[in-house]
Amino acid sequence: MNATEVRRAAWLFSEERDAYLLGLLRLALSVLLLLNGARLILELKDGGYFGDFFHLPIWPEAFVPSATAYALLLSVQALAALLAFFGLWPRGSLLLASGIGLFILGCDRLQYHNNRYALLLLGFLLAFTPCDRSFLLAKRSPHHLPASARLAPTFARRLLQIQVSLVYLSSAGGKLLDSDWRGGQVLRMRFESVAPFWASRGLHLPGSLTLALSSALFASLAAKIAICTELFIALGLWFPRTRRAALWVGVLFHFWIEVSARVELFSWIMGASYLAFVTPELRERRLEYDPENERGRALARVLGWLDWCARFEITPRPANETWAGAFRVIGRDGVATRGLRGAALLAQATPALFPLWLPLELLSKLEKA
Amino acid sequence: MVRSLLDLPLKARAVFFFTYLSVQAVILMRAQRGPDFVFGFQMFNESSDLKITLLRRARYKGHLRLLAIRDGAWRAKDAHGVEHTFRWQARVHDGVLGTLGSSIHASYGLQAQLFRLQFALRDVAAHIPDDSETQALIAVVDTLKNGHEAGQVRLEASRP
Repeated sequence: MNATEVRRAAWLFSEERDAYLLGLLRLALSVLLLLNGARLILELKDGGYFGDFFHLPIWPEAFVPSATAYALLLSVQALAALLAFFGLWPRGSLLLASGIGLFILGCDRLQYHNNRYALLLLGFLLAFTPCDRSFLLAKRSPHHLPASARLAPTFARRLLQIQVSLVYLSSAGGKLLDSDWRGGQVLRMRFESVAPFWASRGLHLPGSLTLALSSALFASLAAKIAICTELFIALGLWFPRTRRAALWVGVLFHFWIEVSARVELFSWIMGASYLAFVTPELRERRLEYDPENERGRALARVLGWLDWCARFEITPRPANETWAGAFRVIGRDGVATRGLRGAALLAQATPALFPLWLPLELLSKLEKA
Repeated sequence: MVRSLLDLPLKARAVFFFTYLSVQAVILMRAQRGPDFVFGFQMFNESSDLKITLLRRARYKGHLRLLAIRDGAWRAKDAHGVEHTFRWQARVHDGVLGTLGSSIHASYGLQAQLFRLQFALRDVAAHIPDDSETQALIAVVDTLKNGHEAGQVRLEASRP
């Protein structure tokens, strides 16, 4: 290792960033852990204890808990997820909830699902980040520690980011190595079942669409696009120039998966994990609105609700400044923008509006041209 | 700010970081070789189907014969001559392995379901103490891998 590499490694492990967003990620993952645990509790209540039937443990059978111990573990897991959500011993609770989940996952491989495993790994890694310095809902307002106290080592955030990339890389790699997948045969079989599926529900798809769905060429193209999408998300998240596009593609990719397949909480888990890739520093952008303008006031109010990642300082227009329009956005680079370009900048940094970012960006470029 | 036990000291962070990545790498590589890709993040890996037909090898009129099991249920006598009804689905609750006689999507792929089916046969065979007739359970599986005929697979589990 030369001196530069040593410095880089030291930076990785001593890097200190604002932990505000890690608290938000804790909220999201603890809700998902709670939902995942609630499903297991319902399955236990309605279907009985899995150990009383055929099961296939990954651990030695002796490690599989009894029905009572299993029910107790699920209860502790749910309680720990709740504590993590409210910010009471959040890191320990998160570690406990995900640790119990990982143990349970190994008790029966019939119940294994990739989304459950991904959620538990992310919860486990998040426990090693300073996610206990913001969104402490059980604490009296303010729910966040002051900025100086939120500055903390975030090396585990890097691990969490790597884990997210590994999920996509592994998935894409498996598809790439499988000739049936990369050739489109796997997707073609799925596409061919779409028309009969809708027909059985009384909806007949147009002939051209049915033809396209059963076409080998269409399936082959779709397979290549799917593999490239996963690879792009896995790698694009790491480079500042491509990160935003990778996140945008990822959001759309998971929206498509959510509406077209039954994947339990997978889309929500991966969507939440994207918070780990958001720049940790807060309020580096500014929204200035015209307090005399009704649209400007409404926009400021709505952005106040939707700015979950605390990207914006929201201020009325300074009295000594004059500009036309209801608002203007001042980016990290200090450049002020209005109109469509301003709206694109707002969407770019606001999670609920993020899917609109690229269309608005393209429209603003068209307008400029 | 109270220090958390999970705030690792600088050297421990490096150890944790590389240990975690090494463990993940090993798990991921092993998972790719596993029959059902557990821990391998292989999403939507196949569009395969299987149809399980269940049979049992039992003594019938003094001879060992293969008898069909319809809808997963069969009747057999215990050592005292009392007849009992047995059901495959009484032990196998899994949606794929519990579906007999009709084609079903093989989630996680054909190999995954065949691997699990072999264990399911052993499990059921080991949990029918009141059946003194059946000597083995047999599954004949018609397989379709990504739309291609993949042949018929026969799995068997003898009574322990």
